Amino acid sequence: MTEAPERTIEPLDLPADPGPSGQVGRPVLRYGGGDRTSGAQKFLADLSFPGALQVALVTIPVGCADVLGVDTTAARAIPGVVDVLTAADFPSRVPRFGVSHQDRPVLAEGRVNYHGEPVAAVVAETLDAAQAAARAVRVEYRELPGVYSLDAALAPGAHLVQDPSIRPGDPAAATNVLEDALYTWGDLADEEARTSVVVADVYTFPMVTHFPIEPGGTVVVPTDQGGLDIYSPVQHPYLLQRTIASVAGLPLNRVRVFAPDPGGGFGGKQNPKIEPLLAFLALRTRRTCRLVLSLEETFQSMRRAGCRITARTGFTQDGEITFHQVDADFQIGAYADVAPRVMAKGSYVAAGPYRVPAVRIAARAVLTNTTPSTAFRGFGSPQVAWATESQLDAGARLLGLDGLEVRRRNLVAKGEAFVRGESEATADGEWWQSLEKAAELIGWGEPLGPNRGRGIAVGIKPGATSGLSQSLVRLLCDGSAIVYAGTSDMGQGARTLWQQIVADELGTPLDEVSVVSGDTGTVPFDLQTSASRSTVFMGSAVLEACRDVRQRVLALYAESTGVPADQLSERPGALVTPDGELSLPEAARQALGSLRGEFIGQGTRRLRGKGNHPLGGDAAFYEFNATAIEVEVDRETGELLLTKHVTVSDVGTELNPLQVVSQDEGAAIMGLGHSQMEQLLLDEHGRIRNLGALDYRIPTFKDVPLELITGAIENHDGPGPYGSKGISEGALLCTAGALGAAVAQATGVAIPDLPLTPERVWAAMEAAGTDRPD
Amino acid sequence: MTSTHADDDLQTVTLTVNGSERTVAVPPHRTLLDGLRDEVGLPGTKSCCAEGECGACTVLLDGRAVNACLVLCVEVEGRDVTTVEGLSRNGLTDLQEEFLNAGAVQCGFCIPGQVVSAEYLLRTNPSPSEEQIREGMSGNLCRCAGYQRIVRAVQATAVRRGGGHD
Amino acid sequence: MPKYYRPTSRADALTALAGAGTGARPFVGGTDLLVGLRHHTVEPELIVDLKGVADLPEPIVVTDDGVQIGPTLTMGELAAHPLVQRWYPALVEAALTVGSVAIRNRASLVGNSCNGSPAADTAPPLLVHDARVTIASQDGERTAPLVEFFLAPRRTLCGPGELVIRIDLPRPAEGSGSAFRRLTRRRGVDLATVSVAAVVDSDGRVVLGLGAVGPRPIRTELPGPVDLTDEPALIRLLDEQLEVATPISDVRASREYRVATLRVLAKRAVLAAADRRTSREMAS
Repeated sequence: MTEAPERTIEPLDLPADPGPSGQVGRPVLRYGGGDRTSGAQKFLADLSFPGALQVALVTIPVGCADVLGVDTTAARAIPGVVDVLTAADFPSRVPRFGVSHQDRPVLAEGRVNYHGEPVAAVVAETLDAAQAAARAVRVEYRELPGVYSLDAALAPGAHLVQDPSIRPGDPAAATNVLEDALYTWGDLADEEARTSVVVADVYTFPMVTHFPIEPGGTVVVPTDQGGLDIYSPVQHPYLLQRTIASVAGLPLNRVRVFAPDPGGGFGGKQNPKIEPLLAFLALRTRRTCRLVLSLEETFQSMRRAGCRITARTGFTQDGEITFHQVDADFQIGAYADVAPRVMAKGSYVAAGPYRVPAVRIAARAVLTNTTPSTAFRGFGSPQVAWATESQLDAGARLLGLDGLEVRRRNLVAKGEAFVRGESEATADGEWWQSLEKAAELIGWGEPLGPNRGRGIAVGIKPGATSGLSQSLVRLLCDGSAIVYAGTSDMGQGARTLWQQIVADELGTPLDEVSVVSGDTGTVPFDLQTSASRSTVFMGSAVLEACRDVRQRVLALYAESTGVPADQLSERPGALVTPDGELSLPEAARQALGSLRGEFIGQGTRRLRGKGNHPLGGDAAFYEFNATAIEVEVDRETGELLLTKHVTVSDVGTELNPLQVVSQDEGAAIMGLGHSQMEQLLLDEHGRIRNLGALDYRIPTFKDVPLELITGAIENHDGPGPYGSKGISEGALLCTAGALGAAVAQATGVAIPDLPLTPERVWAAMEAAGTDRPD
Repeated sequence: MTSTHADDDLQTVTLTVNGSERTVAVPPHRTLLDGLRDEVGLPGTKSCCAEGECGACTVLLDGRAVNACLVLCVEVEGRDVTTVEGLSRNGLTDLQEEFLNAGAVQCGFCIPGQVVSAEYLLRTNPSPSEEQIREGMSGNLCRCAGYQRIVRAVQATAVRRGGGHD
Repeated sequence: MPKYYRPTSRADALTALAGAGTGARPFVGGTDLLVGLRHHTVEPELIVDLKGVADLPEPIVVTDDGVQIGPTLTMGELAAHPLVQRWYPALVEAALTVGSVAIRNRASLVGNSCNGSPAADTAPPLLVHDARVTIASQDGERTAPLVEFFLAPRRTLCGPGELVIRIDLPRPAEGSGSAFRRLTRRRGVDLATVSVAAVVDSDGRVVLGLGAVGPRPIRTELPGPVDLTDEPALIRLLDEQLEVATPISDVRASREYRVATLRVLAKRAVLAAADRRTSREMAS
């Protein structure tokens, strides 16, 4: 096996002033990594709650049904069963919750809208009893003609997933379209008039599930004060706090969310799902209630929206794009969750990072009787990029250009608009550098062996369009420091970055900086851990808190020593006095004197949205990635062997190169999942046919390309600390496009549907008649 | 009528876990995974798929890597179990250090299983090739997909232990 | 809830199995049984753990005529056995595709066969090697060719009160070769979409074992000796002979894809087996 030329991980050159010179930019080892390798790290299911009641969910084996009755008699008779909660137990209507639409009931209310929606919940002294009782609950139901596909949902007279009564005032309430989005600019007719070639196709992107290795769960502890402590491995503890407070009618200070580090989130653990149900169970029983989900239940609670994209694109003879038309239907599932925003934000960049004079993008979020889709790494961008990148390659093939050249001719330069019209967006990086580096690393233009193909693609994703992160940094009297930052550390290694920033800004040794997170009772507010925002938002807040600490050290030092403040100055890690420089910890010690105490710095990073912007504001930054893949196709079976996979992201500044590599490699492989093998398959009753690890396939060690190479472009041009940008999603945005182009070259046939399973590749070659060697 | 276990359904099992003799009383259907986590009190071994597909629950049973979710507690009477906690009783092992050095640890949930599988691989093949590492580890899923990082960690550990591969 | 019983003698094991009838499940590796328990697709009253039985046949015994495999031999042990590697390379290739290392440390060859899955990886190579099964009960022992053992999905000749105590593999004919090929949805651990084992003897006689293309694993022979240098002729013969396969469409693949790739894998397995006839060593 060939040894992959690895990316060198070395300290970078940072701007001289202002700038840290120590830990930032180094491959500092992961904060908390030791506990993660030794088994000491406590995930939700590892926390001990003596005397807790165990919860099991009751579901029915269809995707859409009216619930006619729930008989709990047999279940209640099982020894150890404490309670069985059904919709009938709520005093009036079952409370509903949601991020943008308050549409999801705590328990199915009269109707099951997707396979796995809980109809009842059993609470028992032991898990065995709870699960036996859940199987003993008899649910009488009448199956309905649910809509399990886009076609079914959009057909005239289709069954309505959501009763119009929960969509008051919505003119589309009598359809399954929950929301739509339209982005247009330029004159399509004029541009078409000067077009030489037009390519059109219909692309599909499958429903895929996050499959975090930690399935997750929730524990709710009723407190003596009538409040609730919620334990859930969520990405947004403060959103969960607000949601529980709202459905339970409690003030925020009586709802405390403890968020153990998620064992993988990827967007799936952002928004509340079963937590409100557990809260009601705890309030009813006045006991601690615990539910650890099975992997199957996790599959039934999170997925990415599938998508069908009809695209039509024009090119001049020189390969310049003249126009691009997209109709994108996102199959979002039974409840909104955050899917309308996935639709709006994904389709916003459906023309790609290109210079396109005329564009019309029309997108819809379509309800179906399927698992509610939610945020998933990439947030709608991978779906639209699959179509747009494939269109570029289709155009290039007609024009006799290669995939690199057609992108060179259309990619926007820094500062140039790729979204025009009322809500313009411009390139915030030297994106061409990533494209060129990816081409260089893959060996673009080198001769290909038999049955091999090479593809290159690019992708963009808007970062957060609004945000608020608040942080506290305490510099203790011995020079050590504690950071309070509400970012959830779900694998990206956020805490390591805060440690690095504080070490440099306060001069504290790395191992004397600790980070507190995951507790809304002690850690200040952070809006979300999503959209790769934390480096930029929380990173800036931590940085500001450190600078606040330095100001306070300076002020107290002046007061304590009598040296006039105007003769003092501070810089990262040091206080500059008339007698020379003091390390900041030493200056702090002298300033605090014999009473000791500490310095408390505060930092806030706020990005206000724009009311008139379709996304609610301009993105704080864009993630940009170029991916190139070389593949060998088995022409008889359709199997793919990925011989080389290159991914290059525009990262601004690598605060921790080791973590950047981990994120890039991980995103690249995750991208191969939806490109090659992952898809949720439904039967005619709307049941997930491949529910569980046995038949839902994700990449394994042996599915990693023979060579996997990541590269980064650093121009220190991001809005985060030291010029950084968010980087956690880039490497999966355009994986599918690169792979699709490579397969098209190797087989001679372009396949518009994902995933590119062996069978699909084989079938495409069969249909094209290209499988028979001459 | 489905029933749950009464006390007389419990069976007493004495096993050695990480060098210490432990006795637990469990119903016959209890898996070793749940027994280790809930009865022995060692939650380092993780549960994900619970059907042998993900490797998160890998432990050594009489020195051999197995999925603890596919072993019954009652069958390990008198046998020897090593969990991730047992590997690092005296601090992090060279293998665990190399996991950190290689950047192999992201969310960390699969890592205990990965570490046990990698330790077994190196004990049975001190000089694995990259292909052998991929093959030997392919029963351990990592959704953060730190696969290439983990391969590097295993290679580095092999070198540290004098194995290494050309 | 099942009871667990760990007999120490074969007689005790057979008595327990007979006593519980259809409610009993013999248990060795548990890699299928525990999945069934979890999903409540099997709800045995009694689990009879055979790992403590002293007087069952040894895990593996080599004779001049072949090998005898007992109920407790794991896939990992099978694949690591030097003589098995030399005589039955197709079986080793198949055993090494069963699950992961950790699965192979537990799963037994006999248990895997008794599970009766049409897609069992080791069934095709056992079939082409003319394996025989010995079934014991309180009434004594009987033997049957493996090809008669598989009845239907999840159903075998081994009935209530019975136990497969041995699989006998005759020593392959001098100058023959074998190979196993299979297709999966991903490169890592996966269930077979289609699998094929082939034995080719020195005269060009070809025996095929087919997995996941019918309600049970299939054994078939190509008519007469085959000129293996004539690939078009081989493909024609395979096309005709593989009509015995009756694959279905399921979550893993369509019928059409299975039909097509069965031919591809069969050709590849036959050619690989033929290539091995000279050296008899398993290609690494």
